Amino acid sequence: MIRMIDNTLTSLDRNLPSKEELHTFCELLFTIGVDAIELTVPVYQRMEYLPENQKFVLNIDFVDELEDYPGFYRYVCRHEADADKLIYELQMNDARELVRLRALQNYKEIRIVGLDDIMCYDSYERMLEEIMHTLPKSTIILCPENTYGCASALAMQWAAEYGSNITTSFAGCKNNGATEEVIMALRLACRHKPNRNLTVLPSLTKLYEQFTDRRIGNKKPIIGKNIFQVEAGIHVDGIKKNPATYEAYDPNLVGGRTELVIGKHSGSKAIQLKLEELGLAFPGDAAVDKILNVVKYRCTKNRKSLSEAEFTELVKEVTAHERS
Amino acid sequence: MKEVKYIVDTTLRDGEQSPGIALRAEDKVKIAQLLDEIGVYEIEAGTPVLSEAEEESIRLIIEKKHSAKISVWSRMNVGDVKRSIACKPDIIHIGTPVSYVQIYSKLKKNKTWVIKNVLECVEAAKSENVDVTVGLEDASRSDIGFMLSLIKELKNAGVSTIRVADTVGALTPNRAKELIETIKSNSDMKIEMHVHNDLGMAVANSIIGAKAGADYIDCTLFGIGERTGNCNFYDFIHACEHVFHFPMNLKQVRNVEQQVYQELQRAM
Repeated sequence: MIRMIDNTLTSLDRNLPSKEELHTFCELLFTIGVDAIELTVPVYQRMEYLPENQKFVLNIDFVDELEDYPGFYRYVCRHEADADKLIYELQMNDARELVRLRALQNYKEIRIVGLDDIMCYDSYERMLEEIMHTLPKSTIILCPENTYGCASALAMQWAAEYGSNITTSFAGCKNNGATEEVIMALRLACRHKPNRNLTVLPSLTKLYEQFTDRRIGNKKPIIGKNIFQVEAGIHVDGIKKNPATYEAYDPNLVGGRTELVIGKHSGSKAIQLKLEELGLAFPGDAAVDKILNVVKYRCTKNRKSLSEAEFTELVKEVTAHERS
Repeated sequence: MKEVKYIVDTTLRDGEQSPGIALRAEDKVKIAQLLDEIGVYEIEAGTPVLSEAEEESIRLIIEKKHSAKISVWSRMNVGDVKRSIACKPDIIHIGTPVSYVQIYSKLKKNKTWVIKNVLECVEAAKSENVDVTVGLEDASRSDIGFMLSLIKELKNAGVSTIRVADTVGALTPNRAKELIETIKSNSDMKIEMHVHNDLGMAVANSIIGAKAGADYIDCTLFGIGERTGNCNFYDFIHACEHVFHFPMNLKQVRNVEQQVYQELQRAM
């Protein structure tokens, strides 16, 4: 069974969100399909209490802290110790370090952080198999880091075909795999669909931006605000006929919607659809062609696509000119 | 010795299709020249059928090019191919839908029609001595049997390179590997890897594709492109410059990005 730990809340100690924000953030993470949430002691203290019937993992500096904070699903610590519920975390920056695992046969749960570049090497599959074979009795949680832009891919492959257990963070903010990317990839590639709701992703994104004061990129996979915009004529036509032609998944699934943008790459079909969308009268085929020409000229001149207000104004100009 | 891989930059075609931006002819020429200078193998300059202004900008790029090959994108339509030929590019890329959703839902045609049409397009370009690559659109969601039979027909028609396009960005690394290896083991076509970043896996899939045998990797500056964009040029080189040989280094790619940031920022 795939088990995903999200460790976003281990990166906020310097700028702690409010208690309410933290509780809402946790609730939303569980809603999208995260199995357990990892947090630090300061975050735990700020939350004051943990919601019942949910799994939380506490990131501790020393093993003896384990007794100070009872009741967690698991504890993560970088100091070597074999204790009940303890996940021993070790950093591996290079595939050659895999030999270190041989000394850890007695550990029940181990989290490997790093391995940024193994996808670039000869056979990342062989290395992942080696990890599994070296520690056949241990539960291994992989938390690939993202220095080379492969963390989500590696986390997804591990979860789907190797150790099932992964650690990721929202938007990949901890320089590891992005929780939402891995959830969607598992859904599309493996039909892994835990009974969860991804439509809350815009709320999760907004809350994350609010308490971190960071902005999620417009093109960020799954959660970027512009990722469902479409301008190119051939794509607009295809999506109108069947959205699946140019969308890997239904935007509604993640609380988004397809947005038709008018610009240099638009075709006459897009002009017609936009007129309809804005409640503007169809001016006839000849006028649509003329509007399209003016759109292309103006967008190229101004180096940008048109806003809906600019498009409406342009249509008025062209059709008024046509009438006169 | 590191294996040589070739960068096909599609900033001026797929990248510019990103809603928000519209490049002027002078912008496109400037970007093409900078890419040419750092050793990009092929620059996909645009789509001629888009407008006369687009055709003109492509002509200017071709006129001022140094060593890069200049390609243009064309729909699988003889009329469009002829407009592309008029620009006198080095390569015409013919986008050919191969998934059933594209063939039956978008085109409302069938597989026989696709094969017949693409072969007519190839013939139209070849008869004017223009090199052709054929893009298997939506290859990541397509029937491999159909793709292999199409590849065989294309090979017989004189096509030597196909573009495997993950049009909706649904590929994962193991699927990317399987796809490229299957094509390589059933044909001697050269493969160009063209992926999108919808699942945040464009760089990983490009690396896996290159390792599995793709010779050409499609990239864009800043990773701009439809929806979540394409494989990010800088990130790709950063990830595998120690594995593959490229004519450019990271500093040069960053330098180009700095010089064109203003022109491309609306696509980010």
